[in-house]
Amino acid sequence: MNHQLNNAFTIFLSLLVEAMPFLLLGVLLSGLLLLFVDERKLVKAMPRNPILGALVGSLMGFLFPVCECGNVPVARRLLMLGVPVPVAIGFLLAAPTINPIVIWATWTAFREQWEIVVLRIVFSLLIATIVGWVFSTQRDPRPLLQATVARSMPRLEIVDKPVMADDKPMLLQSGTFLLGQAGQPRRMDASVLQASLLASSTKKPLPDRLNLFLENTVQELRELGGVLVLGSAIAAIIQAFVPRDLILGLGQGPVTSIAAMMLLATLISICSTVDSFFALSFASTFTSGSLLAFLVFGPMINFKGIGLLFSVFRTKTVIYLIALPALLTFFLTLLVNLYVS
Amino acid sequence: MSNSKQILQPLDRAALGLMLVLIILISGMVWSGNKAAGSVRDFSWENKQVGADDASFSITFSRPMDRDSVQSSIKIEPLLTGKTSWAGRRMVYTLTAPAYYGNDYKIQLSGAKDQFGGEGGEKTGKPIKPFVGQFHTRDRVFTYIGIDGEEKGRLILYNVIKNQKNVLTPASLAVTDYKPYPDEDRILFAASEWTNQKPGVFEQQLYTVTTGININSPGKPETKQIPSGKIELVLDSKDYQNMKFDLSPDGKTIVVQRVKRGNPEQFGLWVVRAGSPPLPLENQPGGDFVVAPDSNSVAVAQGQGIAILPLQPQAKPIDFLPQFGKVLSFSKDGTAAAMIKFNSDYTRSLFLVTTSGVKKELLNTPGSIMDAEFDPMATTLYCLLTQLQKGEKDEEQPYVAAIDINTGKQTPMLALPNQRDIQMSLAPDGLALLFDQVVTAQELPQPGSLTTNEGQAISTGVLWLLPITPSNSEPKDKSGDTPLPQPQKLPLPGFHPTWMP
Repeated sequence: MNHQLNNAFTIFLSLLVEAMPFLLLGVLLSGLLLLFVDERKLVKAMPRNPILGALVGSLMGFLFPVCECGNVPVARRLLMLGVPVPVAIGFLLAAPTINPIVIWATWTAFREQWEIVVLRIVFSLLIATIVGWVFSTQRDPRPLLQATVARSMPRLEIVDKPVMADDKPMLLQSGTFLLGQAGQPRRMDASVLQASLLASSTKKPLPDRLNLFLENTVQELRELGGVLVLGSAIAAIIQAFVPRDLILGLGQGPVTSIAAMMLLATLISICSTVDSFFALSFASTFTSGSLLAFLVFGPMINFKGIGLLFSVFRTKTVIYLIALPALLTFFLTLLVNLYVS
Repeated sequence: MSNSKQILQPLDRAALGLMLVLIILISGMVWSGNKAAGSVRDFSWENKQVGADDASFSITFSRPMDRDSVQSSIKIEPLLTGKTSWAGRRMVYTLTAPAYYGNDYKIQLSGAKDQFGGEGGEKTGKPIKPFVGQFHTRDRVFTYIGIDGEEKGRLILYNVIKNQKNVLTPASLAVTDYKPYPDEDRILFAASEWTNQKPGVFEQQLYTVTTGININSPGKPETKQIPSGKIELVLDSKDYQNMKFDLSPDGKTIVVQRVKRGNPEQFGLWVVRAGSPPLPLENQPGGDFVVAPDSNSVAVAQGQGIAILPLQPQAKPIDFLPQFGKVLSFSKDGTAAAMIKFNSDYTRSLFLVTTSGVKKELLNTPGSIMDAEFDPMATTLYCLLTQLQKGEKDEEQPYVAAIDINTGKQTPMLALPNQRDIQMSLAPDGLALLFDQVVTAQELPQPGSLTTNEGQAISTGVLWLLPITPSNSEPKDKSGDTPLPQPQKLPLPGFHPTWMP
């Protein structure tokens, strides 16, 4: 028991050490987006077509190279800026994989099985686009989101139904008012702060903007960092008490191996920048499809990051965000195992 | 908030619908079973031309494999024994002896099974698609220096398999020594213009000549065939005379012993690498030298021993072996060397010196130890020795012997006619020895005559080939000894034969 606790603590620390810098990177990017990008131009630039939008969102990882801890703050920021939902969902699911660092790392690990590299990219894009497209059926995204996030979203151009009443931060006009808010802990929730920043951010002088950027970074990191700590702790405890052999023992057949590797990916919550090397160690005993399942599903959904998802989306949305990629991954990788190799 | 309270929103309908479709599709796929069979993704020697340096091939599978089933179903024709090892989905087959030259090999794999097989507890695995691959070994080719008529002093390439002769160098150059490059595409040679040649003066320059051979080696990109006979000057002899030279086994470095014209004190080893000017090593002057198998160091006879020098200017010796006087050769992997020790009682000892510190005396003789070469597996040392025959005038009778490195047992193979300067060369697959028989003229060499290494004028020469029965497959006679092979006289007048790698 003592040994397992020790183990859990080690895993917990290693997950945190690995994830924190990327969360910080995501938060910094989110801050930069908030303060230095004109949201109207950004929103305008996004395609309205849901499938195209989801694809563009999936490819945005090339602009913001974040792994699966940094993607949540950026996706949240995109939603708050009023970017179409398919774009944000596409980014959320694909950015941890579709970015130069992860593609390069996958190539380094699987150079001799190049189809793994190609299929990882193709499947991730495909799944992110399909899920993004599914989410596009919801024209008003507010019911999908946590109240704090929804509240800070800009008004929809076409409003189907009456939106929430307490969209007060949108009415804030001046940045000076914000500085006064620092002493009011009740109001110091990051999304409120950001929403107020948003209103006038790009018009502010640079020193002010930098100051706000710092404030936002601290706020967001405090909020999301806490969730990450919790997620890492849960992932560590499960890993320490559910032996890895048990998961791998689920089977190595064409079907069972996929299930085993997807479960493993969810539990171990390894960062997408290094997961290829981890997966490589299973290449001698596991099917190509199951390795792909690990590489595609792991960065989208894992225990460490589920908490972060809950900080943005409502429970039902999170369930869809887990179930759809899981089924799609299973389907595509099963196709590989049963019909290709 | 009213939206979320509705039972089914558009998103719910789309998401649940897609999930249902996926579940149906997945169930259908699982139900219909495994349609794909594993296969061989890559065979590293496919259609390649393999040489003695190619010690192993690999087969990469598309799936994790049942290793025992692969090992038991692999079949190579003609037989090629080896050991298997695995790294993930890749099996590496390391040959226990080099493949024989001039052969076409076929590799078959049928009945091998993958590791995981079908679902439902089936432990036997699913058979993969049968695989057939092929590869070839290099041709048996050697080079020698011609003697008669038009061929005099020219480098000649002879393909034993195709029975083809190809004169490589022009008639204007008198070739004195040469070393083939590892890919057989070129030969480095020392030669001087016939018009220049004055006995006793070294005017030789270093050149390369293309052989026209284009080996499609494993692990190397395919190259364009270059016609044979293209000459390129590597090192001139304007300011320095080029004495001896050696080529590193990787073919990237030439080591030359040079003397400054008009100042014989400036004497030492130089290094020539492609694309950079010749570089003097500026070490203590020495005698005979051999580039080590690592291609990064050279063994030089220096004073009272053998110094191992890095191929960098002014570098300190890596090692010094004070007992020995000459390095004859290294084993291919560089772990062992054959060295001569000159004893104080005027006998010579042949030593096996290994990197693990073993110094084993294999032979002590009052005669000479002229040459020794390791067989490819470094289990036998083929030696060119002489027996001292006491008489009115002491004579040395040369002979070829095989020494078993493990037991030290010496087996004489062939007695040779009395001759001072014999060149011996062991085929890269260890199946034949080549040597020359040169008749030297009594008088001093005239301008325009070929000379041996010892400076005697050559009047005629014959090449001999001695087949070697591989030690692992010979039919032994009652005494347990291998029947002695008989040498074949080759209809090629020449000397200084060397097998191409």
